[in-house]
Amino acid sequence: MENQTIILVISAFLGLASGIIMHRSDFCIAGMFRDLFLFRNSPLLRSLVLLIAFSMLLFEIARLVGVLNYSLPSSLYGLPSLTNLLGGILFGIGMVLAGGCVVGTLYKLGAGNLPAACAFLGLLVGSALYAEFHPHWKQLTLATRLGDAATLPQLLRLPPTLLICVLLLGTGGLLYRWQVKGLLLRPNRVKGYLQPRTAALLLAVIGLVSFSLLGMPLGITTSYTKIGAFFEQRLIPEHVASLDYFQGHGFEFFLPISNQTLHAGAGPFWDGLALIQFPLTLGIVVGSALSAISMGKFNCRFDIPRCQLFSALFGGIIMGLGARMAPACNVWHLLGGLPILSLQSLLFTLGLLPGAWIGSLVLTCYVLKQ
Amino acid sequence: MVKQPDESIEIDVCGQICPSSLLTALREVNNHKELLRSGRLQLYILTDNHDSTNRICDAIGNMGYHVEVKDKNSYYEIVIAKIAAQKRDSRS
Repeated sequence: MENQTIILVISAFLGLASGIIMHRSDFCIAGMFRDLFLFRNSPLLRSLVLLIAFSMLLFEIARLVGVLNYSLPSSLYGLPSLTNLLGGILFGIGMVLAGGCVVGTLYKLGAGNLPAACAFLGLLVGSALYAEFHPHWKQLTLATRLGDAATLPQLLRLPPTLLICVLLLGTGGLLYRWQVKGLLLRPNRVKGYLQPRTAALLLAVIGLVSFSLLGMPLGITTSYTKIGAFFEQRLIPEHVASLDYFQGHGFEFFLPISNQTLHAGAGPFWDGLALIQFPLTLGIVVGSALSAISMGKFNCRFDIPRCQLFSALFGGIIMGLGARMAPACNVWHLLGGLPILSLQSLLFTLGLLPGAWIGSLVLTCYVLKQ
Repeated sequence: MVKQPDESIEIDVCGQICPSSLLTALREVNNHKELLRSGRLQLYILTDNHDSTNRICDAIGNMGYHVEVKDKNSYYEIVIAKIAAQKRDSRS
């Protein structure tokens, strides 16, 4: 691999920036979906719509001018299957019980939050656990495959630019109405708060930089699997060696910055995915910690009700499993796949909704009893 | 954690899983409705999550209470009281 140091630096920088932005704006994607069901009101969800729409605009312009090159289906976003939906449901339940999604957990962890540490542990366990039944799940994925179109334009046999223009006109109108009514703006009650709409625009730019330079949108869950696999390797190396999932290098992607195609996998070895995702993951935690410390809000408390810690751990495990079964996480699908209209991502998002609803029910019935 | 009943109650939800802070605030406000409405009680919610300050202030403010956020360094203190009630100095 060429330019390893440059890739590492870019990735760490994107992570740091994302960590700071998400901590300052409290950009909790799990919370956005949860509050939709729990309180029938989710003001932050509008910023997520802005983020997806703006990413769609940026990615399409970048593709048209040749900065961004991708063609689907690929290892990034494959052909849709019913398992994308099932993974999304499981992921939705997990992220609500864990109190944060795969990146929410990281930025909360950076600010010293103990439930987030439990969720992080759960994510490692859940991601590694998936390797145990990967061959069966792969079979189910193949058996429930839904056609041979990878994107919505392919399915509808329309030019992508046309479809994206129509969608952007629709969401643009909606966003404009929210903006005029002041619904995109949050009250500014605390010092150092970053408006979620500003955060949304910045995160879309970060997503574009990642996609065009590193060949993939923001994603971190394979790094969870790898970390889980590294631990498992220490404890039971023979078992790790016997698992197909940890031995494969089936993830193929083009790395524009070093102009080469790489093969990577989820196993306990250093490869292109590790090179990109490890610094990103660490960067988010460090960025958030720096942001919290500079605000004086780094707060590590240990007197947390046990049922909440258990919920976070259990939610993390389910989320980790869901992220592997989907495959990939909410950031990968919402911020990377939806803007390019991947059908896998659409199914995943469709699954997140009932998942978040079930998660909210379980959370209020068992964890946060009134 | 109850201090000085009939005057002020402090509830600490720092570090708890979301949305514990908002749910706890709503529950406590409902539990002490009469005392809060009559101005005999003030609630202090301590949270370290900055979106919670928005959510709690919006929800409780809509219910017709006075809400105020104070930055206490490692956490925020949200004061909930009767509207136009005479403000007491908050304890640090």
